[in-house]
Amino acid sequence: MSTKGTHIPDRLKIPFAGITPAPSQEKGQDLFPTGNWRSIRPVYRDKLPPCNNACGTNEKIQGYLDLVKRGKYLDAYALIKEDMPFPSVTGRVCYHPCEQACNRGKYDEAISIRAVERFLGDLGQALTHDVVKAGKSNGKKVAVVGSGPAGHSAAYQLARLGYQVTILEKSPKAGGLNRGGIPDWVLPAHVLDREIERLVELGITIKTNVEVGKDVTWDDLKKNYDASVLAVGLTEPNSVRAEGENKDGVLYGLPFLRDIGMGTSKVKLGARVAVIGGGNTAIDCAREALRQGAVEVTMITVEASPEEMPAVPEDLHDMREEGVELLHGRAVTAVLGNGKIEALQLHPARFSGAINASPITVDREAPAERFAVDNVIIAVGQRASLKWLPDEFKTERGTIKIDRFGRLGDTNIFAAGDVVQLGAGQPLMVVNAVGDGKRVAFNLDKVMRGETLQPRTIAVDVIFDLNRMNMTYFPHFPRVQQDLLPPASRKKTQDEVIQSFSEEQAIEEASRCFSCGTCNACDNCYLVCPEPCIARPERSNGMYKILVDYCKGCRVCIEECPTGCLEGVPELDFDTGVVRMDTAFAISPGLHGRQAEELRNLGDRAAKNI
Amino acid sequence: MAMLADVKKRTVRINGCVASAQAAKYADVDVIAAYPIRPYTATMMALAQMVANGELDAEYIVADSEHSQLSIAHGAASSGARVFTGSSGVGVQFAYELYSPISGSRMPVQMMIADRTLDPPGDFGSEHTDALSTRDMGWLMGWSCDAQEAFDNHLIAYRIGEDPRVLLPQMVCQDGFFVSHITGDVELPDTGQVKEFLPPYKHPYPLDPRHPVSHGPQIMPEQGPPLQLERARAMEESMAVIEEVHDEFAKIFGRRYDPWIEEFMTDDAEVVFFLQGAHAVTARYAIQHMRDRGLKVGMVRLRTIRPYPTDRVKDVLSKFKVVGVIETNMGIGGVSSGGVLYAEVVAALYESQKRPLVLSFMAGMGGEAIVLKEFYWMTEKMMDVQKRGKIEKRTHWVGFEE
Repeated sequence: MSTKGTHIPDRLKIPFAGITPAPSQEKGQDLFPTGNWRSIRPVYRDKLPPCNNACGTNEKIQGYLDLVKRGKYLDAYALIKEDMPFPSVTGRVCYHPCEQACNRGKYDEAISIRAVERFLGDLGQALTHDVVKAGKSNGKKVAVVGSGPAGHSAAYQLARLGYQVTILEKSPKAGGLNRGGIPDWVLPAHVLDREIERLVELGITIKTNVEVGKDVTWDDLKKNYDASVLAVGLTEPNSVRAEGENKDGVLYGLPFLRDIGMGTSKVKLGARVAVIGGGNTAIDCAREALRQGAVEVTMITVEASPEEMPAVPEDLHDMREEGVELLHGRAVTAVLGNGKIEALQLHPARFSGAINASPITVDREAPAERFAVDNVIIAVGQRASLKWLPDEFKTERGTIKIDRFGRLGDTNIFAAGDVVQLGAGQPLMVVNAVGDGKRVAFNLDKVMRGETLQPRTIAVDVIFDLNRMNMTYFPHFPRVQQDLLPPASRKKTQDEVIQSFSEEQAIEEASRCFSCGTCNACDNCYLVCPEPCIARPERSNGMYKILVDYCKGCRVCIEECPTGCLEGVPELDFDTGVVRMDTAFAISPGLHGRQAEELRNLGDRAAKNI
Repeated sequence: MAMLADVKKRTVRINGCVASAQAAKYADVDVIAAYPIRPYTATMMALAQMVANGELDAEYIVADSEHSQLSIAHGAASSGARVFTGSSGVGVQFAYELYSPISGSRMPVQMMIADRTLDPPGDFGSEHTDALSTRDMGWLMGWSCDAQEAFDNHLIAYRIGEDPRVLLPQMVCQDGFFVSHITGDVELPDTGQVKEFLPPYKHPYPLDPRHPVSHGPQIMPEQGPPLQLERARAMEESMAVIEEVHDEFAKIFGRRYDPWIEEFMTDDAEVVFFLQGAHAVTARYAIQHMRDRGLKVGMVRLRTIRPYPTDRVKDVLSKFKVVGVIETNMGIGGVSSGGVLYAEVVAALYESQKRPLVLSFMAGMGGEAIVLKEFYWMTEKMMDVQKRGKIEKRTHWVGFEE
């Protein structure tokens, strides 16, 4: 008897014939961790990368970086153009919330997304024919009032949807804030001109010198067009409510920049210029003042330090490099001088609340300072001019009253951009206005087609946590820096300060992208799978397929997925019904979502935290 | 398990194939996995008729190959069904992959074998090589020598294999044609007797959606040996169960079989044949003839080869001077350069104080009958060895030597 006297040690005690609870049952995986047939299955479920999420118009940033990496520039340009009409503009002027959100920033340095966008935008500028075409005409006419970022974006998307679009612009040149609010040395006029031409190529009619409320009435809009988009922006500068603010030599930020941008400026600055305000427009004004002949430019802010200023740090840095001085914690209480400005009276001041939009507390008990200047440029924000708008559509904060879809009541009129976003909680920036214009265009289209407007219900999974990716696959690599003109020479010219990426630089920078939560066809899953479970007809983003018939649920592919797009989903409990499927699925729409659309909701039924 | 219709005991004249089918019916099997190959096909034909006639309530599944047949049997047994399947010759070989998984998962599947010579070329004749080639796969295995024994062995094997102390599959073998196609009187029992002898099959961990379990998981290498040890233990411990069950069978049905060995005219025998299966019938006849002429010859028939009754074989065969193993199987290039049975016999005798001389006879190959004069010839060879006291030629190809 060979088995007589044998003893199986406790650690190897095994149930009868190795029969154990099913993998779906409690402890079903304990005994045979490598393969008590699959209790979880890997699925490709693309997350939303934080850059895409942070972008005001939700550009598919990870997508175009990936295409640039592969040298597919035209595809990348076409992808960016889905959400952004003028990457050449935003590639220069955008305050890039994407880069602030970039996960790489927590690892070494954020991707220089804006520079890659500019690279693509300039490529688009050079094309004889744009990749975007107007949609098949639906015979409906839409007026877009204003040709700034929001109006431009809305007009662009509406033309793509097949509308006959007319832009009404009150200035002699189209471009709105892009032209009037952004200096040439940031955005050369010819770049913007080319983007305006692209609108005309799409069949959009641009009528300049047409002001709503004067040349076109509210009723005209309703009568002559099937629908309208109001994107009139903020045209009126805020005052600092200082005594003597009406003296000669007192200028306001946006009109100052606008007149220069439109070529209608008659301003001659003195040697000493003060700029009031701590935001991005104030910075542009200060730097423009240098280029308009000022010698000493001082920026006076209520903010107590540079860190508190609501400005982009790089621009602040570049401004100081050009020689602009900062004077913090002061408010202008009077403009002194006899008919013409001679000096400013300053008092200590601070914001009364925690944020710099809160009311200002001025300490008038403290001794006043006298600050001698030849000109002052006040850049403390602006407001809308809405005299022509029926009162029912005005809000208390002086903006247009809209519903959550950007619509004015039950009219066919929508509003977008700064004129609705002012004070709504998000910072005013070009890209946000573009996104607003885009969304309003799609909502307008739905209304025109008789569809009900509904809020989005798809949950968005933004991947913020680096632990959801496999960071061992990403070596540290420094950010590729854009070249800048030297401060001494640039501050007297209108030459573009920041230089473009070369092709090599663009590829190098795009290659740093983690592709957070999104398949980038790295082939790792294909290579590490110990069974032949990962199939791919060709190496292509999101086109991998898991042959679950062979999958043991070993998790190797999940653990080794650099981007975190692969995750494990528990097999549905045997008791409540086993679901068989032969393909991966994704929750958010994307390439994977298209593989098995009908299975998208399954993930909601699966437990979290696996 | 459907209720077996009440039937009174009666004797019928049927062949081995039909006897096996009758046994499956009396065992009230739940699932039959069939795929035709001669000579066992007749068993499945008979069962098909029984199911069609409503005599037997069972799932009758025609597979697309023997591999599928055994896979079906495996799955059905896993779900808690009593399963009957069978095959012959190369069909037995085609299902080879399944033998270890079935015994390893401890599923008491029953497989009827009507032996057939392996190809090539195509030969319908009986040779034990088909089933014997699977002898170490963890299945209980033994040969019957006539239709009645075949019938009885099926019931006995189910009872042993399904015993919770055993839980192993069984190969119930009979020689093709010599048993499968030769009719004999078979006493079919009273239904009540079978109910008393063979309780319903109950696996402790069947596949059941209400109580999910996992069968046959992937394991780590270190987890293999304990499972093999347990399977070996089950095989060894089945020996006590086998004896118990044969006793009980005798009590209920009135036919007593020694579970391991049948001895024929061995009391004073000096030379004996050692064999399995149908050729025992001819051997008995030949031995009687030779006894009439005063030769001290006898026969030892092995009834159960797995588990192999090593000690019993040693004790029994140590009484004789010469043992002639009639192989009826091929073990090319093996210990005896003849068949595999020789090695089993010699190994059992190795520790004996009184070892007989052992010859290997390649007889009954290809399904040829072993005729009387061949038994006489083999006896002469054994007696010659006895006289000389030593072996000059270990293995003889009977019919091909002077």
